[in-house]
Amino acid sequence: MEAASIAHAGAHDEHHGPPEANRSSRVEAPLLGMLLFIISEVMVFGSFFTAYFFIRVAAGAPWPAPGDHLPVEVAGVNTAILVSSSFTMHWAQHSIKNGNRFGLKAGMLTTFLLGATFLFIQLNEYANIGFAPQDNAQATVFYSLTGLHGAHVFIGLLLLLFVTIRSFRGHYSPEQYRGVEVPGIYWHFVDAMWLVVYTTVYIL
Amino acid sequence: MLNPLRSEAEAFRFLLYVIAVVAVIIGVVLLLRAAL
Repeated sequence: MEAASIAHAGAHDEHHGPPEANRSSRVEAPLLGMLLFIISEVMVFGSFFTAYFFIRVAAGAPWPAPGDHLPVEVAGVNTAILVSSSFTMHWAQHSIKNGNRFGLKAGMLTTFLLGATFLFIQLNEYANIGFAPQDNAQATVFYSLTGLHGAHVFIGLLLLLFVTIRSFRGHYSPEQYRGVEVPGIYWHFVDAMWLVVYTTVYIL
Repeated sequence: MLNPLRSEAEAFRFLLYVIAVVAVIIGVVLLLRAAL
Protein backbone atom coordinates (compact mmCIF):
# COMPACT_ATOMS: atom_id res chain seq x y z
CA MET A 1 0.00 0.00 0.00
CA GLU A 2 2.81 2.36 0.93
CA ALA A 3 4.78 1.48 -2.18
CA ALA A 4 1.67 2.09 -4.25
CA SER A 5 1.24 5.48 -2.56
CA ILE A 6 4.85 6.41 -3.28
CA ALA A 7 4.49 5.31 -6.89
CA HIS A 8 1.24 7.26 -7.13
CA ALA A 9 2.93 10.36 -5.67
CA GLY A 10 5.72 10.02 -8.25
CA ALA A 11 3.16 9.93 -11.01
CA HIS A 12 1.61 13.15 -9.63
CA ASP A 13 5.04 14.84 -9.67
CA GLU A 14 5.34 14.20 -13.39
CA HIS A 15 1.77 15.25 -14.10
CA HIS A 16 1.46 18.73 -15.63
CA GLY A 17 -1.11 20.51 -13.49
CA PRO A 18 -2.71 23.88 -14.17
CA PRO A 19 -0.37 26.91 -14.37
CA GLU A 20 -0.06 29.46 -11.57
CA ALA A 21 -2.91 31.94 -11.31
CA ASN A 22 -2.73 34.74 -13.91
CA ARG A 23 0.11 32.96 -15.74
CA SER A 24 0.05 31.20 -19.10
CA SER A 25 1.57 27.73 -19.34
CA ARG A 26 2.52 28.35 -22.97
CA VAL A 27 3.83 31.92 -23.14
CA GLU A 28 6.26 33.66 -20.82
CA ALA A 29 4.74 36.49 -18.83
CA PRO A 30 6.87 39.35 -20.26
CA LEU A 31 6.22 38.19 -23.81
CA LEU A 32 2.50 37.72 -23.13
CA GLY A 33 2.33 41.20 -21.64
CA MET A 34 3.91 42.78 -24.70
CA LEU A 35 1.75 40.65 -26.99
CA LEU A 36 -1.48 41.84 -25.37
CA PHE A 37 -0.26 45.44 -25.25
CA ILE A 38 0.63 45.48 -28.95
CA ILE A 39 -2.70 43.91 -29.91
CA SER A 40 -4.56 46.56 -27.91
CA GLU A 41 -2.50 49.35 -29.51
CA VAL A 42 -3.29 47.98 -32.97
CA MET A 43 -6.95 48.40 -32.02
CA VAL A 44 -6.30 52.02 -31.01
CA PHE A 45 -4.58 52.73 -34.32
CA GLY A 46 -7.49 51.04 -36.05
CA SER A 47 -9.91 53.53 -34.55
CA PHE A 48 -7.78 56.45 -35.76
CA PHE A 49 -7.56 54.94 -39.23
CA THR A 50 -11.34 54.61 -39.14
CA ALA A 51 -11.61 58.37 -38.55
CA TYR A 52 -9.28 58.93 -41.51
CA PHE A 53 -11.43 56.61 -43.63
CA PHE A 54 -14.65 58.44 -42.73
CA ILE A 55 -13.19 61.85 -43.48
CA ARG A 56 -11.42 60.97 -46.71
CA VAL A 57 -13.49 58.15 -48.23
CA ALA A 58 -16.96 58.33 -46.69
CA ALA A 59 -17.17 62.13 -46.63
CA GLY A 60 -15.02 62.54 -49.75
CA ALA A 61 -12.96 65.39 -48.31
CA PRO A 62 -9.91 66.39 -50.38
CA TRP A 63 -6.56 65.14 -49.03
CA PRO A 64 -4.72 67.15 -47.99
CA ALA A 65 -7.10 70.02 -47.38
CA PRO A 66 -6.99 72.76 -50.07
CA GLY A 67 -4.00 75.00 -49.50
CA ASP A 68 -2.17 72.50 -47.30
CA HIS A 69 0.98 70.68 -48.35
CA LEU A 70 2.34 67.48 -46.83
CA PRO A 71 6.16 67.12 -46.80
CA VAL A 72 6.25 63.70 -48.44
CA GLU A 73 9.99 63.74 -49.13
CA VAL A 74 11.04 64.70 -45.60
CA ALA A 75 8.72 62.06 -44.18
CA GLY A 76 10.19 59.60 -46.66
CA VAL A 77 13.69 60.27 -45.33
CA ASN A 78 12.30 59.94 -41.82
CA THR A 79 10.81 56.59 -42.81
CA ALA A 80 14.22 55.41 -43.97
CA ILE A 81 15.69 56.48 -40.64
CA LEU A 82 13.09 54.55 -38.66
CA VAL A 83 13.45 51.45 -40.84
CA SER A 84 17.22 51.62 -40.33
CA SER A 85 16.66 51.67 -36.57
CA SER A 86 14.83 48.34 -36.80
CA PHE A 87 17.82 46.84 -38.59
CA THR A 88 20.17 48.05 -35.87
CA MET A 89 17.75 46.72 -33.24
CA HIS A 90 17.83 43.32 -34.91
CA TRP A 91 21.61 43.52 -35.06
CA ALA A 92 21.75 44.23 -31.31
CA GLN A 93 19.45 41.28 -30.56
CA HIS A 94 21.39 38.97 -32.85
CA SER A 95 24.65 40.11 -31.24
CA ILE A 96 23.67 39.30 -27.66
CA LYS A 97 22.31 35.92 -28.74
CA ASN A 98 25.82 35.16 -29.95
CA GLY A 99 27.59 36.74 -26.99
CA ASN A 100 28.77 39.79 -28.93
CA ARG A 101 28.55 42.54 -26.33
CA PHE A 102 30.04 45.21 -28.56
CA GLY A 103 27.38 44.54 -31.18
CA LEU A 104 24.67 44.74 -28.52
CA LYS A 105 25.90 48.09 -27.18
CA ALA A 106 26.55 49.60 -30.58
CA GLY A 107 23.25 48.32 -31.95
CA MET A 108 21.19 49.58 -29.04
CA LEU A 109 22.86 52.98 -28.97
CA THR A 110 22.42 53.40 -32.73
CA THR A 111 18.80 52.30 -32.52
CA PHE A 112 18.07 54.82 -29.81
CA LEU A 113 19.81 57.66 -31.66
CA LEU A 114 18.03 56.87 -34.93
CA GLY A 115 14.69 56.73 -33.13
CA ALA A 116 15.37 60.03 -31.40
CA THR A 117 16.32 61.56 -34.75
CA PHE A 118 13.02 60.36 -36.21
CA LEU A 119 11.06 61.97 -33.40
CA PHE A 120 13.03 65.21 -33.63
CA ILE A 121 12.37 65.47 -37.37
CA GLN A 122 8.69 64.72 -36.77
CA LEU A 123 8.44 67.51 -34.19
CA ASN A 124 10.27 69.86 -36.54
CA GLU A 125 7.73 69.00 -39.22
CA TYR A 126 4.90 69.91 -36.86
CA ALA A 127 6.52 73.29 -36.24
CA ASN A 128 6.95 74.08 -39.94
CA ILE A 129 4.13 72.28 -41.72
CA GLY A 130 1.92 75.36 -42.04
CA PHE A 131 -1.37 74.13 -40.60
CA ALA A 132 -2.68 73.43 -37.12
CA PRO A 133 -4.74 70.45 -35.92
CA GLN A 134 -7.80 72.64 -35.34
CA ASP A 135 -7.82 74.14 -38.85
CA ASN A 136 -9.98 71.44 -40.44
CA ALA A 137 -10.90 67.78 -40.16
CA GLN A 138 -8.08 66.65 -42.43
CA ALA A 139 -5.51 68.44 -40.28
CA THR A 140 -6.98 66.93 -37.12
CA VAL A 141 -6.72 63.44 -38.53
CA PHE A 142 -3.20 64.10 -39.79
CA TYR A 143 -1.97 65.30 -36.40
CA SER A 144 -3.90 62.55 -34.61
CA LEU A 145 -2.50 59.68 -36.63
CA THR A 146 1.09 60.94 -36.74
CA GLY A 147 0.88 62.19 -33.17
CA LEU A 148 -0.41 58.86 -31.88
CA HIS A 149 2.47 57.18 -33.62
CA GLY A 150 4.90 59.76 -32.23
CA ALA A 151 3.67 58.96 -28.72
CA HIS A 152 4.41 55.31 -29.37
CA VAL A 153 7.87 56.20 -30.60
CA PHE A 154 8.43 58.14 -27.38
CA ILE A 155 7.44 55.12 -25.28
CA GLY A 156 9.69 52.96 -27.42
CA LEU A 157 12.58 55.35 -26.92
CA LEU A 158 12.13 55.07 -23.16
CA LEU A 159 12.31 51.29 -23.40
CA LEU A 160 15.32 51.49 -25.70
CA LEU A 161 17.04 53.88 -23.28
CA PHE A 162 16.58 51.41 -20.42
CA VAL A 163 17.94 48.57 -22.53
CA THR A 164 20.87 50.66 -23.78
CA ILE A 165 21.87 51.67 -20.27
CA ARG A 166 21.60 48.10 -19.05
CA SER A 167 23.61 46.90 -22.06
CA PHE A 168 26.44 49.24 -21.15
CA ARG A 169 26.24 47.96 -17.58
CA GLY A 170 26.76 44.41 -18.85
CA HIS A 171 23.34 43.09 -17.80
CA TYR A 172 22.51 40.78 -20.69
CA SER A 173 23.98 37.45 -21.81
CA PRO A 174 23.36 34.80 -24.48
CA GLU A 175 21.29 32.93 -21.89
CA GLN A 176 19.42 35.95 -20.55
CA TYR A 177 18.35 38.52 -23.14
CA ARG A 178 14.58 38.63 -22.78
CA GLY A 179 14.92 42.27 -21.73
CA VAL A 180 16.34 43.06 -25.17
CA GLU A 181 13.90 40.91 -27.12
CA VAL A 182 10.63 42.29 -25.73
CA PRO A 183 11.43 45.97 -26.43
CA GLY A 184 12.73 44.80 -29.81
CA ILE A 185 9.35 43.31 -30.65
CA TYR A 186 7.68 46.60 -29.62
CA TRP A 187 10.09 48.65 -31.73
CA HIS A 188 9.42 46.56 -34.84
CA PHE A 189 5.68 47.04 -34.23
CA VAL A 190 6.22 50.82 -34.05
CA ASP A 191 8.18 50.70 -37.30
CA ALA A 192 5.62 48.57 -39.13
CA MET A 193 2.85 50.88 -37.93
CA TRP A 194 4.71 53.92 -39.25
CA LEU A 195 4.98 52.33 -42.68
CA VAL A 196 1.20 51.96 -42.72
CA VAL A 197 0.70 55.52 -41.45
CA TYR A 198 3.17 56.98 -43.97
CA THR A 199 1.65 55.14 -46.91
CA THR A 200 -1.89 56.09 -45.91
CA VAL A 201 -1.31 59.72 -44.91
CA TYR A 202 1.48 60.85 -47.23
CA ILE A 203 1.32 58.64 -50.33
CA LEU A 204 -2.26 57.55 -51.02
CA MET B 1 3.33 30.20 -39.38
CA LEU B 2 4.94 33.58 -38.81
CA ASN B 3 3.88 35.10 -35.51
CA PRO B 4 5.39 38.59 -35.14
CA LEU B 5 4.52 38.65 -31.45
CA ARG B 6 6.35 35.44 -30.57
CA SER B 7 9.98 36.54 -30.93
CA GLU B 8 12.05 39.50 -32.10
CA ALA B 9 13.35 37.56 -35.08
CA GLU B 10 9.82 36.85 -36.29
CA ALA B 11 8.79 40.45 -35.65
CA PHE B 12 11.73 41.59 -37.78
CA ARG B 13 10.79 39.20 -40.57
CA PHE B 14 7.22 40.48 -40.43
CA LEU B 15 8.59 44.02 -40.72
CA LEU B 16 10.54 43.00 -43.84
CA TYR B 17 7.33 41.70 -45.40
CA VAL B 18 5.56 44.96 -44.53
CA ILE B 19 8.44 46.93 -46.10
CA ALA B 20 8.15 44.87 -49.28
CA VAL B 21 4.37 45.29 -49.52
CA VAL B 22 4.57 49.03 -48.82
CA ALA B 23 7.33 49.45 -51.40
CA VAL B 24 5.16 47.72 -54.02
CA ILE B 25 2.12 49.86 -53.14
CA ILE B 26 4.12 53.08 -53.25
CA GLY B 27 5.71 52.04 -56.54
CA VAL B 28 2.35 51.27 -58.13
CA VAL B 29 0.80 54.52 -56.87
CA LEU B 30 3.70 56.63 -58.16
CA LEU B 31 3.69 54.86 -61.53
CA LEU B 32 -0.07 55.35 -61.93
CA ARG B 33 0.24 59.04 -61.03
CA ALA B 34 3.02 59.48 -63.55
CA ALA B 35 1.00 57.74 -66.24
CA LEU B 36 -2.27 59.62 -65.63
